[in-house]
Amino acid sequence: MDQFLQLVVAGLATGAIYALAAIGFTLVWQTSQTINFAQGEFVMLPAILVLVGTHAGLPVWAAFAVASIAFVLLFGFGFKRFLVEPMQRHGVLPLAIATMALSVLVKEAAKNGFSAEAQPFPSLVPDGMLSLWGAALSARDLAIFVVAVVAIVGLQLFITRTRTGRTMQATAQNPTVARILGIPVERMILLTFLINAMLALVASYLVSPVYLAKFSNGESIGLAAFIAAIVGGFNQIRGALAGGFLIGLIDNLTAAYVSSAYRTAVPLVVLVVVILVKPEGLLGRKEERTV
Amino acid sequence: MTHVLEVSSLKKYFGGVKAVDGVSFTVEEGEILGLIGPNGCGKSTLFNCILGQLTPTEGEVKLDGRVVTGLYPAQLNRLGVSRTFQLLQVFPNLSVRENLILAGQEHKGSMIGRLFGARDAGLTAEADRMIAFFKLEHLADQKAGGLSYGQQKLLDAAMAFMAGPRLVLLDEPAGGVNLTMLANLKERLQIINRELGATFVVIEHNMDFVMSLCSRVVVMAEGKILAEGPPSAIRNDPAVIEAYLGH
Repeated sequence: MDQFLQLVVAGLATGAIYALAAIGFTLVWQTSQTINFAQGEFVMLPAILVLVGTHAGLPVWAAFAVASIAFVLLFGFGFKRFLVEPMQRHGVLPLAIATMALSVLVKEAAKNGFSAEAQPFPSLVPDGMLSLWGAALSARDLAIFVVAVVAIVGLQLFITRTRTGRTMQATAQNPTVARILGIPVERMILLTFLINAMLALVASYLVSPVYLAKFSNGESIGLAAFIAAIVGGFNQIRGALAGGFLIGLIDNLTAAYVSSAYRTAVPLVVLVVVILVKPEGLLGRKEERTV
Repeated sequence: MTHVLEVSSLKKYFGGVKAVDGVSFTVEEGEILGLIGPNGCGKSTLFNCILGQLTPTEGEVKLDGRVVTGLYPAQLNRLGVSRTFQLLQVFPNLSVRENLILAGQEHKGSMIGRLFGARDAGLTAEADRMIAFFKLEHLADQKAGGLSYGQQKLLDAAMAFMAGPRLVLLDEPAGGVNLTMLANLKERLQIINRELGATFVVIEHNMDFVMSLCSRVVVMAEGKILAEGPPSAIRNDPAVIEAYLGH
């Protein structure tokens, strides 16, 4: 039982990271039909940028600040302006393939430009153990979970309770009418890209102290986030959230009770089952498009 | 005297198809003008040209004597022109109230308020007044996508009035709406027209609805205007009857 509880907490922590990435994924899909296959690299890169800063002699706080601003500008604004916009008029698929190219580019750039080795990353939370109901729980796992949940709840409140959030939803649901009503559709789409970059940033800073910062980190996170988004329902934020936690839990429980060799296989099995049984995802709605 | 809306020799060709082929008419202040004609005669294309969703091949649209051809829909919206849609166009996953707030929000408030504003109290109150006026109180917090077809049509019409428009173009507001709701809609439109002096152009196939609501009717066929006049004259016009019943 103790071990099970530990695994659940670890699973929720991993799941929270997946959920952050998956939510960003569904946001940019909803507002601009962009399937971002570089999402994993978006989570890998901010940590690398911070390390580039500290290696260049910046104090840690300054490295975090510079890396965060540079990342959100480049992979929020720059990503939309210089990759999504030019590719979008060619269709969803060419755009998706362009994001795959971006993922390779970012990964190789991190490897060749920085380091091929995993690097320790400064943790924002001291690593210790907390005792809860007789189980020893990792403080870091709990902190990851809490920070991610706060970020997600904050985002959800922003989207449902503020005027800008409501306008973002309208943009996602019916851009044509939104435009007629005078809603600044382009600005709202840009906002979702900025939010996506910020979510990736948070995920990066949370996960890197655990897994160490490495150029290849994005592969597993990107895949897990993609699966989480599909399993939960591609067109729903709460779907991506549920999917993220589900995949995180499955991932950790499989590693402990089945075999760590099957760690990535089982989420894929879940994906196949969901696609066969409920293709719109666990919480998703059927996609309806008028022609 | 200037007309609220003046359309002169408007043409819209899609390749070789002459969807709208030289249409001219005017709409006067406070009028409810009906626009009828067989399917495919160019009514909706004409609406789209007037509203800037399509660029006319030729011709001119004037609003209060000012040329507005080539303006964007959002710009026209700000000038006081709004529309409803033949095929439903609401925001399905937002509540009825939120849909109404969205329809009005770009017209009100300061720039800063628009950027950061949490719920705008004034807009919410206005949305609630609109909800009460259209008798949608019991649905205010429901998602628009879950409403019946007729209720969504009513919401669509209510949204068109949130911006406080001078001119509203209604594209088949009665299509698929049951009789009770239709009577409600007609009554609402008449009240808005009478009390606020709003001007309407209504595309509709439901003849009873058009004939009882409109003071003047324009009939289109094959991209051209076939007849124009009060409902009683239109009803008995042989050319109109022929266009509808076929040759």
